[in-house]
Amino acid sequence: MSELDKSRLRDAAYMAERIAACEKEIQKGIIGQREIIRQVMLALLTGGNVLLEGMPGLGKTRLVSTISKVFELPFKRIQFTPDLMPGDVTGTNVIVKNETGSGFSFQRGPIFASLILADEINRATPKTQSALLEAMQEHTVTVGNDSHLLEEPFFVLATQNPIENEGTYPLPEAQLDRFMFKILVRFPDKEELKGIVTLTEKAQEAVIEKCMDGQGLLAARSLVNEIPIADAVMDYLLDIVMETHAGNPYIREGASPRAAQAMIRASRAKAFLEGRFNVAFQDVEEVAYPVLRHRIIPSFDAVSEGVGEEEIIRRILETVKPKI
Amino acid sequence: MEKEEKREFIETIHFFRRRINLAGFLSKLVSALFVGAGVGILFQAAAFALPFYHAGLYTALAILLAAATALAAAALRRCSVKEAALVMDGFGFKERIVTAYEHLDEEGDLVVLQRRDAMQQLQAHRGRIRIRVLPAAGKLAVLGVMLLTLPVLALIPSEVKDRAEELWLLKKEAKEKVEEIKEVLEGLEDLEEQAGQELTEEQLAAMREMMESLRSSISEYQQAASLEAMAAAGAKLDFKYGDMAEQMSRLAAGLQGNPAVSLPSAQAVGEMARRLQSMSGIPEPGNGGLVADGGNGSGSGDGTGDGSGGGDGSGDGTGGGNGGGSGDGNGDGSGDGTGDGSGGGSGDGNGGGNGNGSGDGTGDGSGNGSGGGNGDGSGNGSGTGDGSGDGSGNGSGGGTGGRGEGSGSAPYDYVSVPNAVADSGNLTGSAVDHENSDYFRAQNGLSWEGEHVSHDAVIGSYEKKAYEGISSGRYPEGMEEVIKGYFSGF
Repeated sequence: MSELDKSRLRDAAYMAERIAACEKEIQKGIIGQREIIRQVMLALLTGGNVLLEGMPGLGKTRLVSTISKVFELPFKRIQFTPDLMPGDVTGTNVIVKNETGSGFSFQRGPIFASLILADEINRATPKTQSALLEAMQEHTVTVGNDSHLLEEPFFVLATQNPIENEGTYPLPEAQLDRFMFKILVRFPDKEELKGIVTLTEKAQEAVIEKCMDGQGLLAARSLVNEIPIADAVMDYLLDIVMETHAGNPYIREGASPRAAQAMIRASRAKAFLEGRFNVAFQDVEEVAYPVLRHRIIPSFDAVSEGVGEEEIIRRILETVKPKI
Repeated sequence: MEKEEKREFIETIHFFRRRINLAGFLSKLVSALFVGAGVGILFQAAAFALPFYHAGLYTALAILLAAATALAAAALRRCSVKEAALVMDGFGFKERIVTAYEHLDEEGDLVVLQRRDAMQQLQAHRGRIRIRVLPAAGKLAVLGVMLLTLPVLALIPSEVKDRAEELWLLKKEAKEKVEEIKEVLEGLEDLEEQAGQELTEEQLAAMREMMESLRSSISEYQQAASLEAMAAAGAKLDFKYGDMAEQMSRLAAGLQGNPAVSLPSAQAVGEMARRLQSMSGIPEPGNGGLVADGGNGSGSGDGTGDGSGGGDGSGDGTGGGNGGGSGDGNGDGSGDGTGDGSGGGSGDGNGGGNGNGSGDGTGDGSGNGSGGGNGDGSGNGSGTGDGSGDGSGNGSGGGTGGRGEGSGSAPYDYVSVPNAVADSGNLTGSAVDHENSDYFRAQNGLSWEGEHVSHDAVIGSYEKKAYEGISSGRYPEGMEEVIKGYFSGF
């Protein structure tokens, strides 16, 4: 092995350590919610977008702003409302006058940032929601005839309120599929709440230090994509996705191939975060919930029997076992 | 260094792979032996309730089959290196080992990093991997008890087991007999094929009847379910062999010197006769010459009569008949008969051979002689004699000579029971109406199938013999008309 290779190996190990340090730094600004932080980190490491579902005031915006500080990334927050127009998100062409005359000039919208918080995304009309589609999938924005590349890393973190359904526009399946994870933000327990109150009501807020920049994040992402997966683990992962289609009486529509891709990437990222350079069965199991819960559509039987997505995934994981 | 590490890594996996395979084999063996021993116990238990002679053999086979199955399953489902690596990963290595093994020849950054990580983890925590080779002690103990139960059950005596042994011996004997009969049948079939065109229809019919009779014996043996049935079937078969040997000998004797029959055919018939003779259990004559040249019968009759003419007269007639048969071998048959009045006599034949002969006595006589191969023959001789006498007065005398008759001793005496008796289930129509009745053949208990002879043939045969008897003066005077009346009544 050449010296260069050895140095790259050292880089990989170093990168894994830095990512772990970033996670710890984020935890300084967010009390509890370790699982949420971990899953958001997984999405960051794989370039996926996250849909957070939870009640207001659970620290979703704080989480995104903390991440932006840790990775020193440009951060924008877009509050989705029914009267929000696509141009308000993507930007629009405006008439500009100068010495040479007048003409159209593209005025960038808030989507031109590395970290986007699409707050209460389901309050905007489908037209505005779909304005996000291209940006989330292709990392480009097209206005008129011009396509504008978004800067990498690009990461959308959307939130939606599960209670207030009046005046909301549920996200269509096509858009849901573009979110790598759907993370359920639960209410903190008493100890965590105490920590949150103590942290936020202090005279001085905790100082969040930068651990890695955007380029470092991209380098870590490329390393994650190289993590090898054993055949048995890959088979297990694919079996889980296939099981969402295999005549499951509780599923009307199963997960798409994008779900399998998301599970592979998320499993790799999880292994990387844990300091491993291979994917384990356990990694696959743990990422199955956030990857699949918004990608399977429960059947009438499931709805009538009160079987939700979480229960369906739990049963699938009980049914599908690694072939050892 | 890298190569050395890889080699060591693979050797470690192989080491555990061997242990996994051994453990798998032992586990399969124990499971299979559980099944085998369970089946064996069922066999042994069944032997107490059902006649199951081979319970021990089947038990041993079940266990051997189970062990062989386990061996085959273990050989066929041997753990691969990759599977072994996966099993090792199950001891907390989080699929590091299998991933490293699968990417052993790759050289990407992360792949190399992963491999090193896996090797380090394996070296550091090798002690974690504990492959249990022997199955659980409790399981082994239960299996041991089950295996020990088998010989104990096998050694416990019972009446059912004895009965099973007896039945098995019966079946074995029956099978041997069936094979033997089949061989004879084949011989007869070959003989029919070889000499069929040279034999008369009657001779062929007799041969086919023999074959049919043997086939019925096969059926009897196959159906025999008790010692008694086997003994009866055996006795019948011996008798049949003897009877067939006699018929075949007669046939051979008839064929000898017959220009229409080729020598090989005659020899084949003779050979079959000897074969049947030997199978009948009756010793052959010393020289083996069963074929009789013919019998010589002689009859002699003496008659003395006292006639009465004008005076008193009385007459007595004596007649003697001698019947003799002579065989080609060392057998001779002779019969002596003395007749007195109506005639009667007995004779013993000695020697073998079958013969029919007729002879003349001093009166008129005819004799029949036959001999069997065991040295006891029977001779029948009949003779009629005419006598004349002189009276002191005038008269004329007349007498009839006696008829000499001898009978030899035979080793067996059987009664053939017909298939259908009276209005039995096998008879259709009316039993007394010979023209409108019919019956079909069926195996009838301990007897064997009788020959199907038409009613007219039976009556005709009896009538013919009766008239022969009348002409030969066999019946008391005055009975002739009664006998004629009886037969003309049919």
